[in-house]
Amino acid sequence: MALTRINIGPVHPSTHGVLRLVVDLDGDTVVDVDTRIGFLHRGVEKLVENRKYMQCPPYMEKLDYAAPLSVDELFVATVEKALGIEVKERAQYIRVVLLELQRIASHLLWLGTTCNDLGQLTTGFMWAFMDRDLVLRLLEEATGSRMFYVNMRLGGLVRDLPAGFDEHANKLLDYLEKRLPRYERFIEKNPVFIERMKGVGILSKEDALDLGVTGQILRASGVDYDVRKDNTYYVYNKLHFSSKHAVSGDNFARYKVRMMEIGESIRLVREALRTMPEGDAVGMPVKLVMPNAKNRISIVSREVPRGEELMYLVADPQSAYRLSIRAPTFINLAALRHIARGCRIADLFAITSTLDFIMADVDR
Amino acid sequence: MKVDRENLHSKIEEMKKNGYDYLVKITAVDYIKSVQLIYILRNTSALKDEVLEVDLDPSDLYVHTIMNYYKAADWYERELAEMFGVEIKGRKAKRLILAKWDGRGYPLRKNFAWNEPYEKRE
Repeated sequence: MALTRINIGPVHPSTHGVLRLVVDLDGDTVVDVDTRIGFLHRGVEKLVENRKYMQCPPYMEKLDYAAPLSVDELFVATVEKALGIEVKERAQYIRVVLLELQRIASHLLWLGTTCNDLGQLTTGFMWAFMDRDLVLRLLEEATGSRMFYVNMRLGGLVRDLPAGFDEHANKLLDYLEKRLPRYERFIEKNPVFIERMKGVGILSKEDALDLGVTGQILRASGVDYDVRKDNTYYVYNKLHFSSKHAVSGDNFARYKVRMMEIGESIRLVREALRTMPEGDAVGMPVKLVMPNAKNRISIVSREVPRGEELMYLVADPQSAYRLSIRAPTFINLAALRHIARGCRIADLFAITSTLDFIMADVDR
Repeated sequence: MKVDRENLHSKIEEMKKNGYDYLVKITAVDYIKSVQLIYILRNTSALKDEVLEVDLDPSDLYVHTIMNYYKAADWYERELAEMFGVEIKGRKAKRLILAKWDGRGYPLRKNFAWNEPYEKRE
């Protein structure tokens, strides 16, 4: 059997960053994909070993630049655990609000780029990016910055929510709730989209567990594991939401799980804003010398928009002796080889799209 | 939980039988006197995590692959080999994946020299 070998990337509009794929084809059927990563490796884990704890959040934010707040929060939470610092109750609620808004923004970015990859640049992409921008504006109102927030402090946040935030947030959430069915009507009735989504890129439950995929990819394959519910943190156990999962494990299931999650996040933000207690939410100021670490080893995991991110911190008193990051996209991308075998070359990008990786997060 | 390198496979096999069906992460820490490998396994139905720690002597850094138990180990093990110089026995793919550093030393080891001129590793 004569195979054709083609090279895709490292610079390609559909690889969402610098990713190189070496694809072996039989006709137009993919026989094997060799995934080459590492073009964006910055050595973040080594860099933090030479810095004080609170000098690190800006590095963390550049890991997953589509959801910087989530990674920032995870790092600060890991340091809080190492230093034995409790988070103020109001700050916990605000963190949940911001994290869920970040999840909505991140999923909308994913939706836009997926529409782009499937040939709907004008409508799908523009709609999703317009709506994402509204969410970013709300986050800007709360944090003072549009993209890289650095809004977490030990035990709380840099600042409390501004006056009038509730009203603006609820207005936006009303709008988004009306938009979601429009997206679904627009996308799910499009034969081109459906053709490349339904029954394509199937990942079975057993394989999903074996390959260690996480987040929506794991849930779309029928494993209902969500860190927010199953290893809960902050006030998630006081709020009412369900983790969404599907069973078919194909591209469409991954799309559907993300869309349902946007709806859940909208409900979560509403409830958190409504039940938020009064009080102080401002954390400790950043000083040259912070409290000494109490716990040598801290393991913290969070449900970030792309799956479960985990940090393993070995603490020295004032800085990290070693920080190991389990990037969700790293392990999701490792599964590409398995998922893509047997699909058509044109469907390869539908699959990479639904895996939703950020190369900065993969390479660290 | 501390595990010897020799008992790692039997321990993982036993845990897999007991419902630990998901590998969360393989990583390592260089404690200078020893390099500690860390395997985090999860039981997804009982929602329990278990951390296995394997201490290795830095002069004798090797471990057998666990890819026969979890396919997820693939890239983690390659990262381990690249960043810590741990030899992973029993697997074919050896290409560097992240930093692609082929000079002296291993990037995440504590004795890695930042400022020395590049010299290709033997």
